[in-house]
Amino acid sequence: MKIHSNPQNLQNYQTYLQVVRCIEMFLQEKGYLKLDLPVLTPALIPESYLEIFETEFRYFDTLEKLFLTPSPEIFIKRLLSDGIKDCYYLGKSFRNSEPNSSLHSPEFTMLEFYKVGKDYKFMAQEVLQMLSAISYQLYKKDIIVYQGKKVSFHKWEEYTVAEVFQKYADVQPDELFHEKKFMKRAGEKGYEIKNATYNDLWSQMYVQEIEHHLGTHGYPTVLYDYPVQFAALSKPNADGNTAQRFEFYIAGIELGNCFSEITDAKLQATRFAMENKERKKSGKIDHPVDWEFITVLENGLPESTGIAIGVERLGMLFTNVATIEDIKLITIA
Amino acid sequence: MASQAGNLKKGEFIKYQGDIWQIQKTEFYSPGKGSALMRTKLKNVTSGKTIDFNFKSNESVETIDVSSIEMQYLYKDNENAYFMDNQTYQQYEVSRSVIGNVIKYFKEGELMYVFVYGDATLNIRPPASVTLKIVQTEDAAKGDTVSGAKKEAELETGAKVMVPLFIKKGETIIVNPETGQYTGRA
Repeated sequence: MKIHSNPQNLQNYQTYLQVVRCIEMFLQEKGYLKLDLPVLTPALIPESYLEIFETEFRYFDTLEKLFLTPSPEIFIKRLLSDGIKDCYYLGKSFRNSEPNSSLHSPEFTMLEFYKVGKDYKFMAQEVLQMLSAISYQLYKKDIIVYQGKKVSFHKWEEYTVAEVFQKYADVQPDELFHEKKFMKRAGEKGYEIKNATYNDLWSQMYVQEIEHHLGTHGYPTVLYDYPVQFAALSKPNADGNTAQRFEFYIAGIELGNCFSEITDAKLQATRFAMENKERKKSGKIDHPVDWEFITVLENGLPESTGIAIGVERLGMLFTNVATIEDIKLITIA
Repeated sequence: MASQAGNLKKGEFIKYQGDIWQIQKTEFYSPGKGSALMRTKLKNVTSGKTIDFNFKSNESVETIDVSSIEMQYLYKDNENAYFMDNQTYQQYEVSRSVIGNVIKYFKEGELMYVFVYGDATLNIRPPASVTLKIVQTEDAAKGDTVSGAKKEAELETGAKVMVPLFIKKGETIIVNPETGQYTGRA
């Protein structure tokens, strides 16, 4: 990798800064507290699909492993359980083994914000308001043009995950939520099912057949209710198949991911153990699990909802450029 | 040979669903739910058709070893372009639908690499630049000094490219055949 200076991106970068200012203004006016948080931590929440960066603290004979945070969640939930109300973090997060691409870099700017006493449906409305507010600040209207296509923030295009699998991939709900039936269907469609898990095939079919349609019909798309397999930290729905998670998309690009947060300590402990086992099985870096997080839940995490948004991706949309690199003055690639 | 999809690189050839494809583009993508993926654009070496396919990044993909042989471009007809291996004098054909637009910029006799698998040709590797003479272009209007302004020019192969206004008929220029762009005077 090398350091690249991109002074030609100055104008795009300035628009990106405006987007960041609009986000902070919007959240602060709504009473969200800005959090300044560490990016080095001695323990982590186990997440089977994320690889981490590992480093160490050294002082004479002392040597302690530390990890760069892939998300600020571990800190924010502690604060929520300690009585801090609505709050947000806007800063760096780190994910290893995910090379630079048009939409991602191993270190990136993440916005996470949490609303106490509300669920994911409330959060969807909050996010739509935020998008609209950014658009008004920048362009004096709630419509932008991204890569030649109009996107209006007047409303969401709303779907459940089950609906889009039916609409775009011709997979019925009874197949979608039944691991064996789903894998059989994937095999019939020509996907390689040898050595693949339900989660792998689901992800592959979703990206191949569905994702590029989302947020391309004049409005951003919000997609609700993911299978429980994809919701390690979110509250399950009563249907037994899905959990309270949504993602939102513009022009086929995923911009954010929201949960109604799990408040049940026992359920969270089970999910932790499962995710940790998956990490070990797939040969990922072993890290101390933050079991205190379970204690935090036992002490009582208030009902809350939290969302993570890729700030560079959002900047890219409002600047109307095709890659996140186009809004950066310095890139490492 | 098997390779993990995450290691695939542009230019490589793979066997997928019974056909041979050349990889035109790759991008790693981790959607944060389920497996990470390798997004690829694949070109079918028989039909020339391109598709977008997302492999699981840990999926085993059959890559094939092809040899690249320097050959002389002889001529083309509506279906194929014909090449000759200057060492063995053996002639090969490559489907024009696979080669695509780059063929417009090749003079007969041009040397380039052709990918061969067993007895079959798969595709060519176009040279990074070709040198071509301009057979027709308008003289620039006097006083037209807009910087960066371009005009159309016809090359000796019949292809048309946009060139700066100062370029004249009869001059030889360098063109990138993959983009069809003028890159300088020869």
